Amino acid sequence: MTPDARDALEIEALRTDRYLEALLIALDRHAAGTPADARIEPAVRVAATKLARQLVRVHPSFRFEDRLAAQLAEAARTMRLAPAAGGGSMALPIPFPYATPGGGVELVFSQRGVALDPRDLRPYLIRGALTSAALSLAGAAWVAWRRTHAPRPSPMARAVRAAREARLVRRLS
Amino acid sequence: MFGMGGGAEARRATVSPLDRDRPLVEAARREPERFEALYRRYLAQVYSYAYYELRDQHDAEDVTERTFLSALASLDRFEERARPEDGADASTFRVWLFRIARNAVANERRHRRRHPVAALETAAAIPAAVDIEGDATRRDEGAAAWRAVDRLPADRRRAVVLRFVNELTTAEIAGVLGRSEGAVRVLLHRALRSVGRELRGDVG
Repeated sequence: MTPDARDALEIEALRTDRYLEALLIALDRHAAGTPADARIEPAVRVAATKLARQLVRVHPSFRFEDRLAAQLAEAARTMRLAPAAGGGSMALPIPFPYATPGGGVELVFSQRGVALDPRDLRPYLIRGALTSAALSLAGAAWVAWRRTHAPRPSPMARAVRAAREARLVRRLS
Repeated sequence: MFGMGGGAEARRATVSPLDRDRPLVEAARREPERFEALYRRYLAQVYSYAYYELRDQHDAEDVTERTFLSALASLDRFEERARPEDGADASTFRVWLFRIARNAVANERRHRRRHPVAALETAAAIPAAVDIEGDATRRDEGAAAWRAVDRLPADRRRAVVLRFVNELTTAEIAGVLGRSEGAVRVLLHRALRSVGRELRGDVG
């Protein structure tokens, strides 16, 4: 294609684009007539008008819409919990609930989804305040987060620990 | 990405742009549950796009599902890029969402090629919930228009569907297809020319 022919095509295409814009706005407003532009090829005008009227938008079934909405809501809930649980830690209720002498509920967690022997796990007790499911989940997430994010010792604590270790070494030697 | 600018004067006079979906996107980033508003706004558009591309209700549902789940999961990575000349209705979120849908459609096609689906007689026995061609057959003009679009090369057909069914602007289509606006305008122009000639042939 020569540069001139290419330019001509681009100019025509730009004209068609503007015509389309005006046509779609007119149809959207239920205007009586369609825009006229004598410079637009009749074939293009006919096609644009017909396609604008005939190509309809399709809506999925309401059952599908609601099912996907529920799925997204569930995914959203998981996303909200994940950062609180240490970005990837998962709370696994194994088995749930354990009755405890104090009347509370005992929850056992596995870090990062690794299935561990429940006997090796330190049980966490969240007292009877956990009456609603939402609160239980929040508590579970908090405990999981605490397990995966042990607080960093302060400089003072590190200094005390170093001094104690040095003292032990001196005693041993 | 967008951009069919007016003059510099017009640009200076334009009020600072706001991606149309910015408030909803920000709300969804703060509280993922609020993604539902974006989902309801774009469900029919994404589904229509998938349906026109794949012509199968179930495949279109799969693609729609994957598109929205993927959008929700990666919402933090979305970057708004609306510019003053894009106008008040610009939504880079919509462009981003349709890019995800386009990839999902491509994956579905690859999957179809590798795993051909059920026997034809089974598929034929299940009526599609919405039968575009069937509905259109009741109106001769509609059927002819749809047939003409169906015969277009894939990139032209895609541009036509995005423009007429989803009502994306040329700039948005350019964003979705990863082409320049000029290229998209030429695609649409050529598509309309082919469809128009075919329709005139059908009529005459």
